[in-house]
Amino acid sequence: MRKVLAIIRREFIERVRTKWFWVGTILGPLLMVGLIGFQILLAGRRGGDRRIVVVDGTTTAFGQHLVRQLQTNVPRFHLARVPTRAGVADSLLTEVVGKQLDGFLLVSDSTIDFGTAEYRGSNVSSIADMEELQGTLRRLVFAARLERRGIDTLLVRQAEIPLRLATHKISGTKLTGESGEQSFMVGFGMAILLFVAILIYGVNVMSSVLEEKTTRVVELLISSLRPFQLMVGKVLGAGAVGLVQLTVWVGSARLLSGAKYRVAGATAGAGFTFPNIPTTTLLVFVLYFLLGYFLYAAIYAAVGAMSSTESEARQAQVPVQLLLMIPYVSFFALLNDPNSSLAVWMTMIPFWSPIATPVRWGATPIPVVQMVASIGFLVVAVLVVTWLAARIYRVGILMTGKRPNLKEMVRWIRAG
Amino acid sequence: MSQAILAADRIVKRFAGHTAVDRLSLTVPRGVIYGLLGPNGAGKTTTIRMIMNVIVPDEGTVRLFDAPGTARDFSARIGFLPEERGLYPKMRVLDVLLFLAETRGVDRRSARVKALQWLERLGLSDWRMRKVSDLSKGMQQKVQFISTVLHEPDLVILDEPFSGLDPVNAQVIRDTILDWARTGRTVLFSTHIMEHAEQICDHVCIIARGQKRVDGTLAEVKREHGGRHLSVAFDGANGGAAQVFADRRLVAKVEDFGQYAELELTPTADAQEILKALVASGARLAKFELVAPSLHKIFIDLVGADAARPDARPEVARA
Repeated sequence: MRKVLAIIRREFIERVRTKWFWVGTILGPLLMVGLIGFQILLAGRRGGDRRIVVVDGTTTAFGQHLVRQLQTNVPRFHLARVPTRAGVADSLLTEVVGKQLDGFLLVSDSTIDFGTAEYRGSNVSSIADMEELQGTLRRLVFAARLERRGIDTLLVRQAEIPLRLATHKISGTKLTGESGEQSFMVGFGMAILLFVAILIYGVNVMSSVLEEKTTRVVELLISSLRPFQLMVGKVLGAGAVGLVQLTVWVGSARLLSGAKYRVAGATAGAGFTFPNIPTTTLLVFVLYFLLGYFLYAAIYAAVGAMSSTESEARQAQVPVQLLLMIPYVSFFALLNDPNSSLAVWMTMIPFWSPIATPVRWGATPIPVVQMVASIGFLVVAVLVVTWLAARIYRVGILMTGKRPNLKEMVRWIRAG
Repeated sequence: MSQAILAADRIVKRFAGHTAVDRLSLTVPRGVIYGLLGPNGAGKTTTIRMIMNVIVPDEGTVRLFDAPGTARDFSARIGFLPEERGLYPKMRVLDVLLFLAETRGVDRRSARVKALQWLERLGLSDWRMRKVSDLSKGMQQKVQFISTVLHEPDLVILDEPFSGLDPVNAQVIRDTILDWARTGRTVLFSTHIMEHAEQICDHVCIIARGQKRVDGTLAEVKREHGGRHLSVAFDGANGGAAQVFADRRLVAKVEDFGQYAELELTPTADAQEILKALVASGARLAKFELVAPSLHKIFIDLVGADAARPDARPEVARA
């Protein structure tokens, strides 16, 4: 219908013309690029040179072995070995204080016997440094203990090879290229985007309704359009803006997706991989955004219609926001155990499924029955809520003064 | 009543505690300027809102263009200026006009042509790309007026079109309304300022407390409700004029200003008798004129007492 199109058009054009639209649209991808940059920066930072002295109190070749091993494992460590003697700790301490040295590691036979060693230095707060030291030490102690029991050195050398757990998500019957870490990032990203987008565009609908109410334009509009047409036009118009913005955001994420970003001159395998986003995940994301948006936008339209001022509306929308926040804050639980009954329930309940389902989808394959039920419930909820909201809207937009209580709202819904 | 472009039949609207409009019937013939007159709180705006289907009457019916359907169904043929004006403050003037025309079913291209013509005509061309909020109140009113007539409706309904306008802009709007009516279109407008109504109305309907007090053509109303009025001015000496004015068989009401007086004659009185009596009493007359009463006077006589009382009152048992 042409009149509804006029409403959609106005809603869209007037919003796209504001500078906030452009700021928001461009800021999204910039934020993502910034995130990558930050990760790269962190990866790069790990590669600082360290001067470390190993104070060797062992009676075996363990100390020499340790220095050699550390040198090959961590090229940025510059190592020296000194034998234990009285006062060596003190003289090394002055070197650390004088910044000639980053720290020193004390090893002795008890390192192998009881697993004790000591590191003193100015870089103890560097988790990366400490992990490197500890990891190498642990492997060497392990190997040394085995060797002592007369186990073949070759075998031991093989046993020294550290294990790396590669995580790959299984989706349906096929193995995806997604790692566990990446699917966490995808889930996290989707939860934030959905929450923010549904909230922002829902509130946009609310303030648009309120603007027409406070400026009294609504009286003019109502004399040529049915309230329902007006409301639907608004919801669609603001939704179209949201879709454009999300497309830009998700599109840029897609462009970045799967690509590896290496730091020039980075030492170890320090690189950052932007998570790969499968097309089906994108589809689920968009579908749930749209349905979730329609659901909440209708509620927000009703909230706007029954308020008279901006501050009153802000107050009235708090319960709505809390409702949407429940799946958002449950996001860790959803990812930790995506097949728990909590997760399944959240997929089914229409007010929560718009955020919960895509997050869960990102973490685990969801049975087809559950998906069908989830979408079905959501669609029904959208229809019912829109119908109810339209009734409140119709009466509310012409009302001024006190906000209605629950009883009055029920009467509005019942009226004609 | 096939001539009626708008007919309201015994419409009633009750709000908590009082009846805003009480069994009001109106008939607006095609091609006239119809004034809906009444004091503040008389129910003018409620009546107009019911006509526009913004609110639904509790009882009674409104029939437009002698056909079934509500104002919304005829939105392309009706122009509406609500009492509480409102435009989108952040939109550009031209965009607002195009948008509102679109909601009335005009396509954007022809709306643009007409909008530019109207802006030119009302001296707002330079403001077309400015935001509505940059305009003065008067200019916003004119923009709103343009939006009311842009789609060239057959029936224009204006709620207090002159309120908040300075005399110059009021004149512009008045001329536009007259032009509009000359092309055979119908205008219904409400006001509580009788001078405006007297200048342009063909028909008037005076309401008070939601009820109709009088309606008809302006001439009919003046003839039936004005009584006969006499304007007398003296040239120095007024002789025994005071005694003549005090004669209740001839004069129903008098406002004596010494050198000037306004009389309302009793239904049976003959103006010539008064003239004779005045001359006989030794008064020197500068002026002796039979005048039609102003609408203002009729209005005060009809609703003055009501208007002075508060209009919100408890529901009374209706006869």
